[in-house]
Amino acid sequence: MESPASRVSAAAVSTFDRYSKAHTRMTTAPASHNVLRIDNLALHFISQGDVVEALKGISLDISAGEVVGVVGESGSGKSVTALNILRLLPRSKIKIPHGTVSVLDRDVLTMNENELRKIRGGEVSMIFQEPMTALNPVLRVREQMFDVIMRHQKITPDEAAKLSLQLLSDMKIQDPERVFMAYPHELSGGMRQRVMIAMAFSCQPKLILADEPTTALDVTVQAQILNLLKERATATRTAVMLITHDLAVVAQLCNRVYVMYKGKIVEHGKTRDVIGKPQHAYTKALLNALPEGKQPKSRLETVAAVMIESATGEKPAGVKTLTPLKDSGRSAPQAKFVRFGRGQPIFEAVNATVRYPKKYDFFGRPVSYQTAVDHVNLSLFEGETLSIVGESGCGKTSFANTVVGLASLAEGQLKYKGKDLKDHDEITRREIQIVFQDPQSSLDPRWPIWRIMTEPLTVGKKPSKKQLRDTAEELCEMVGLDPHAIDRLPHEFSGGQRQRIAIGRALSVHPRLLLLDEPTSALDVSVQAQILNLLLDLQDKFDLSYLFISHNVAVVRHISDRVAVMHMGKIVESGAADQVLSRPAHAYTRTLMDAVPTLERAFAAA
Amino acid sequence: MSSVADNAPNPPAAKAAVSDIMTALMPLLFQLRKLAWLLFTVTTLLFFLMRQAGDPALVLAGNDATPEQLAAIRAQYGLDQPLLVQYFRYMLNVLQLNFGKSLASAEPAMLKVLDMLPRTLHLAGMAILLTASIAIPLGSWLGFKPENPERRAISGLLFVMQGVPGFVTALILIQIFAVNLRLLPSLGYEPLDARTWVLPVCSLASFLVPSLTRVVAANVAEAMREDYIRTARANGASQTTLLWSHAVPNALLGAAALIGTQFAFLLGGSAIIETIFSWPGMGWLLLESVQTLDFPVVQALAFMIAIMVFTVNACTDLVFRYLDPRLRTKGS
Repeated sequence: MESPASRVSAAAVSTFDRYSKAHTRMTTAPASHNVLRIDNLALHFISQGDVVEALKGISLDISAGEVVGVVGESGSGKSVTALNILRLLPRSKIKIPHGTVSVLDRDVLTMNENELRKIRGGEVSMIFQEPMTALNPVLRVREQMFDVIMRHQKITPDEAAKLSLQLLSDMKIQDPERVFMAYPHELSGGMRQRVMIAMAFSCQPKLILADEPTTALDVTVQAQILNLLKERATATRTAVMLITHDLAVVAQLCNRVYVMYKGKIVEHGKTRDVIGKPQHAYTKALLNALPEGKQPKSRLETVAAVMIESATGEKPAGVKTLTPLKDSGRSAPQAKFVRFGRGQPIFEAVNATVRYPKKYDFFGRPVSYQTAVDHVNLSLFEGETLSIVGESGCGKTSFANTVVGLASLAEGQLKYKGKDLKDHDEITRREIQIVFQDPQSSLDPRWPIWRIMTEPLTVGKKPSKKQLRDTAEELCEMVGLDPHAIDRLPHEFSGGQRQRIAIGRALSVHPRLLLLDEPTSALDVSVQAQILNLLLDLQDKFDLSYLFISHNVAVVRHISDRVAVMHMGKIVESGAADQVLSRPAHAYTRTLMDAVPTLERAFAAA
Repeated sequence: MSSVADNAPNPPAAKAAVSDIMTALMPLLFQLRKLAWLLFTVTTLLFFLMRQAGDPALVLAGNDATPEQLAAIRAQYGLDQPLLVQYFRYMLNVLQLNFGKSLASAEPAMLKVLDMLPRTLHLAGMAILLTASIAIPLGSWLGFKPENPERRAISGLLFVMQGVPGFVTALILIQIFAVNLRLLPSLGYEPLDARTWVLPVCSLASFLVPSLTRVVAANVAEAMREDYIRTARANGASQTTLLWSHAVPNALLGAAALIGTQFAFLLGGSAIIETIFSWPGMGWLLLESVQTLDFPVVQALAFMIAIMVFTVNACTDLVFRYLDPRLRTKGS
């Protein structure tokens, strides 16, 4: 007599057979067979009578088993392209004047919701950027995986459980059982993204749309996730459309690449050709905007400037405010290539330690602590840039918070100009200012920018409105914004402009030391180049000292004189930027450097 | 900083077991400590406020009492003592749940309150059940497609209804169902006769449904814009699955808080409805005893209501923990 258990396992085995057979079948498919074909597609967004042309006639195709990159900055239309393949955009708000989208030779634009639901998650699945919000917080991983699997496959819950566990261990998850039963908040960002990818592969899709799948992750995690994605796609012969702004990621993973700019595909071809010998001005500009491989502290070309130039044949007027500083000697790199400290350090951290309470006793007193910053010793000299590099959770932001007084030290001392920071008066403490990571949320949305930029001046003083507005105009000039725009609200500016506002606010009180907490990580590559240029110009002009906090090694290499590598609250290595980043001594620094995707390495491997 | 010195060294194994039990009991102890503070504050405040409201001896003796009678009553009840002495004596009694005898019926005040308790629980419980079972499905439906014209009309209607007090609805309901149609009794309470429950419960619910529906609708609409809904759609989920499996469970997290508040409000504040329908519950008793200046009963009622509101809030916390996995303590 057959026991129920053995029947279940037999059934499960047959599921696996089907699972693997599906992939064997794929391998025999002719290479010219298109999984996805987009032909001359235009897409307009309609809101209250306004029409925004998001896509202006794009054509794109992906064959079985191919990994294809789609590169472009935010607003270029790359995410819209992906969402439209599954018809996930609100139908009432879009119009498609012409073009076709076919998945496996079937036109998705003419399908009804029922037909689309079979394709979504079945033949085509999607991986999103934000693993922190893309999973439902009140459902276990089990329920969320079952949801997809049971919808597209006729199998029993037992088989689905076996399949899920198999998929999770395929994603190199050490303890698939725990992850299977976990809620999303119990998992790290990297682990959640593995779950997302496992879900995406669960119904043997022919095509996976990966929309910036690693942008929100740390470099070392990003490297693991990208490798897993590539590995699974190769093993199952699944085609992948990888949407990203990171050319190095494309170089590492993709056979072919499409470059998008303002709703058009401006260039496409083999990755090697496109990145090695770019034809279109935008592609060239995008590559030039990367700090990677450039002379440290040299000016980066900005995409906007290049594009205006190539369209009109003349130097753009929009960036004029920045040009006066251009000939400040930086074009001759030997002049001030690396500035090393002069005289006494302007800022020092001596055994700086930050602890957060972890558990409380009956009376609400903390009984145990988590050490976020562990006896950190640093010194920063006048006019130089010291960068702290590390992954999220390494304690770099906790440290930054203590420097500007947003958190207090459990142990140790912070010194400014040789004196304990605590003993300085308010006026001196103003000389230390901070610029935060996300200009979206660090500016009050209801304040005009003149008020935002001059707010630090009103602490303890009452300057007249006229004075403040004049100062705001000066600050705008300084950071490359239109001085006539001081009455506008933050949402009327782009991300890069908002970061300029934040920098202007920090400059309002004539600081000597600027704390830059990931100032470019929320920005596009081309905008990042503009902000880095601005920071270098300002440092030159005002002889500022920068404490630069970042996880982006290329940016750090570009801007820093010295670098300190932080890992689990401790500084594991520090020294001259070039030395630490080119010849790392500590094992962790090497891991970090190896994880960073670079164009050079990608081509060396190819 | 001193926090370094507080950093406890690892306790020995025997101590660890004790501290484990302590950790498990800690949330309960915290709650009890909070309750004790609340009751202390409520009784103290009430004691002094009631003394401001009038002289208890005058009430006890009646309007035409002679000064001698008044003095006798003062001596009998200890009202001639200094206020602080009276206060401590009163608090000692409160510790034994003794609030004195009702001035109206000479029954112990607490017993009188406890008599009313099940009836009020009955009314409040049914009202909240009815409210939730209307508001949650209705709100989910409204929030799923808020721009839809007919749903917008219903939302507008709810907005107006939110401003109609329960007693107005009660009077209209009595006019229609008791006076005109003669289907239901307009007053009285029979524990086993469901017909006497209908009108009071509906009146209470009519006031609570609009606000809860609007909160549920807003939360569902917000949840529908979340990334995980997009994920579910990209995985081929149907509209029904999106709403009931993904959006509603998240939306209920916010609604649970309001349901708790509403229930607490019903326990203490359904006085008007209880009076209109002659439903002999705590609200009715409260109105009666305030009118007759029956101090002991008012004090016992306030004490009881404080305990019940507290319990409801503590239970809401527990429900939250059940609904939201992020609030569950780790390791459980």
